[in-house]
Amino acid sequence: MSTPLEKPQIISHIQKSLNYTVFDSKWIPCSAKFVCMGNFPRGTGVIQIYEVQHGEVQLIKEIEKAKPFKCGTFGATSLQQRHLATGDFGGNLNIWNLEAPESPVYSVKAHTEIVNTIDGVGGLGIGDGAPEIVTGSRDGTVKVWDPRQKDTPVANMEPIEGETKRDCWTVAFGNASNDQDRCVCAGYDNGDIKLFDLRNMSVRWETNIKNGVCCVEFDRKDINMNKLVATSLEGKFHVFDMRTQHPTKGFASVSEKAHKSTVWQARHLPQNRDIFMTAGGAGGLHLWKYEYPAQRSKKDAHDIEMGVAGSVSLLQNVTLSTQPIASLDWSPDKQGLCVCSAFDQTVRVLIVTKLNRV
Amino acid sequence: MPLIVKDYSWTQTEALVYINVPLKGVTVGKVDIFSTDEYLKVNFPPFLFEVILYAPIDDNKSVAKIGNGVVIFTLYKKEESIWENLALMNVDKETLQEKREHAVLKAQEKAVADAEAKAIKKREDEKYALETMMKLEDEERKRIEEKKEWERRRATEELELWKEKQRKEEEEKKAQQRREIQKLENEKKKKNETKTHSKSVPECPRKRTMTKTGKSEEISLPAPRSAGNIKIQFTPRVFPTALRESRVAEEEAWLKKQADARRAVNVDVSELKDLKEEERNPDWLKEKGKKLFATQNYLAAVNAYNLAIQLNHKLPILYLNRAACHLKLRNLHKAIEDSSKALDLLTPPVADNADARAKAHIRRGTAFCELELYAEGLQDYQAALKIDPLNETIHADAEKIREIIQGTVPDS
Repeated sequence: MSTPLEKPQIISHIQKSLNYTVFDSKWIPCSAKFVCMGNFPRGTGVIQIYEVQHGEVQLIKEIEKAKPFKCGTFGATSLQQRHLATGDFGGNLNIWNLEAPESPVYSVKAHTEIVNTIDGVGGLGIGDGAPEIVTGSRDGTVKVWDPRQKDTPVANMEPIEGETKRDCWTVAFGNASNDQDRCVCAGYDNGDIKLFDLRNMSVRWETNIKNGVCCVEFDRKDINMNKLVATSLEGKFHVFDMRTQHPTKGFASVSEKAHKSTVWQARHLPQNRDIFMTAGGAGGLHLWKYEYPAQRSKKDAHDIEMGVAGSVSLLQNVTLSTQPIASLDWSPDKQGLCVCSAFDQTVRVLIVTKLNRV
Repeated sequence: MPLIVKDYSWTQTEALVYINVPLKGVTVGKVDIFSTDEYLKVNFPPFLFEVILYAPIDDNKSVAKIGNGVVIFTLYKKEESIWENLALMNVDKETLQEKREHAVLKAQEKAVADAEAKAIKKREDEKYALETMMKLEDEERKRIEEKKEWERRRATEELELWKEKQRKEEEEKKAQQRREIQKLENEKKKKNETKTHSKSVPECPRKRTMTKTGKSEEISLPAPRSAGNIKIQFTPRVFPTALRESRVAEEEAWLKKQADARRAVNVDVSELKDLKEEERNPDWLKEKGKKLFATQNYLAAVNAYNLAIQLNHKLPILYLNRAACHLKLRNLHKAIEDSSKALDLLTPPVADNADARAKAHIRRGTAFCELELYAEGLQDYQAALKIDPLNETIHADAEKIREIIQGTVPDS
């Protein structure tokens, strides 16, 4: 009887029912507050700021704007400013100062169609290099923006002339271990995953995982690429070992089937890069641990280095809702605290216990 | 008639009666004993022993032992007394019968009562077992819930503590900032007095973006990256929907069906028997027609398209191209016919066949104009414009036709 209780438990701490469709929720760094972004039924966008107080969430502020918000990140701002960068349904990228939200600090019409996904790097005291924001959109392009440069992106990954566009569903920064290096990984709806090297402005690696890619995430943005998790439709996710790249075979990977439906998100624990949580289309959350193999690389028949993938084991799972859990975010300040939002118009604050003993 | 056994023997004490009935060689299995409080019968064919007891006995306590060629009864008397006889004497046949029936009835009732008692006991046992199980499970659940609650409470407390800590840190930071500002203002004042412009006074206090150590905000961030562009190619996919492994088989089947539908529809027409294999493929013939058109061999191109249409009369592109050939040959009526046929086949009007429809309208419009049916021609050009409003040549041509109709420019 004691062994089941030694496993990490996922406990729903607070549940809040909202009156709008919430697409994304993120913790405000260095605080017990989080933001929820979404879409009012009247077609306008909303950002709400909540604070966790004594077992309840209190609404601190509500901001309404013309276009619904799809995604947001704090990744590119400094710890003092804590500006929120958002992508909306109209293809605009805005950076808001939540203390003074009347007009954005930075605004640009990033894409011609909805901005599906956004990520930021270089802020929050993590890593070196310029703060940058990357956005991916339904118009098939991935653009990298610097908040100090107006109107034009610093990098644009677009299809060649005449190519039919595929929706870009997810982007992630990685390999930002020093000033110069930086990589962007993008996942598309036709199963393509492309890794762009921003230092050389080239495609470093591409592959197709046979199912539309819902979420990609590096285990850490600010180190040499270590692991990449890519989740997809049909309940599959892949973990790639990014330390060794083979010229033809690419990166080694292990794949796992879970959730029996689309795996919407995967998020690594900020305090332990081998633990990650996946959120599924049936409202479930699975907590996984990655175990490294005995040797991370080996030589193939032609004496070229290739990577060896490890294994993934399920630590815990829980079903919180009947609707997909569309967003998940770990608190960088308190281990085990996370906020997730689902399409049943609720946002939940969860506590995952015993993570220090895993 | 069974043989009545009379050579039994019996003894008694105050409380007990012992009866010894010899089995006379009958096997143990064939012995059937029937007993009530007052009546005793042992039936072992062909023998029968029955007796109406002198006084009632306790049937439940009494015991019969069968073995070694005898049946030994140990009967417990209800009332302790010494019986004069084992059986009730001076009993006539009728009383005997009565007693027997009475005994049978009593036995039956007893059996029923026993069965009921057993059933009741079983039900009660089951209920008890169920209740205990439920209690155990409840306890287990409560225990787990308590553990969870405890964890939750602990986590909430930790969170509150941490928030407190954060708040205190914030206040400290603010206090320190104020102190730093004070210090800098004092320094400024001093510097102003000495009239040296020190560039090292950071501008931060006004912006309030100082870090704890008071470092200047202008920690040099690298300059924004020089703009770059990466061209990418996607893994080709015909369908606009996302790729799902479970649907791949269906999609392949549909694509195959589409491709097959474009092949020859009726291949067993007699004239076609002497055609080569490749000439039976409408796609190949279309390519041939295009090449001939390009080399200005319009009659041959028309022939190629005729054959292709014979093979598959549902492809709009063939009519469209043949219309172009007829235009060049000045077969204007045929051109109009073919463009109309093509437009018919290009229903429903979707984004996919917009180009084709625009072309069909343009060709038909041109043919009408050549026939001096300018009104119809303009109609077609306007339809083409609706499909493709950004095309300059269509605009220009439509303008020309309008002018001709209005008579401002003489027809050339």
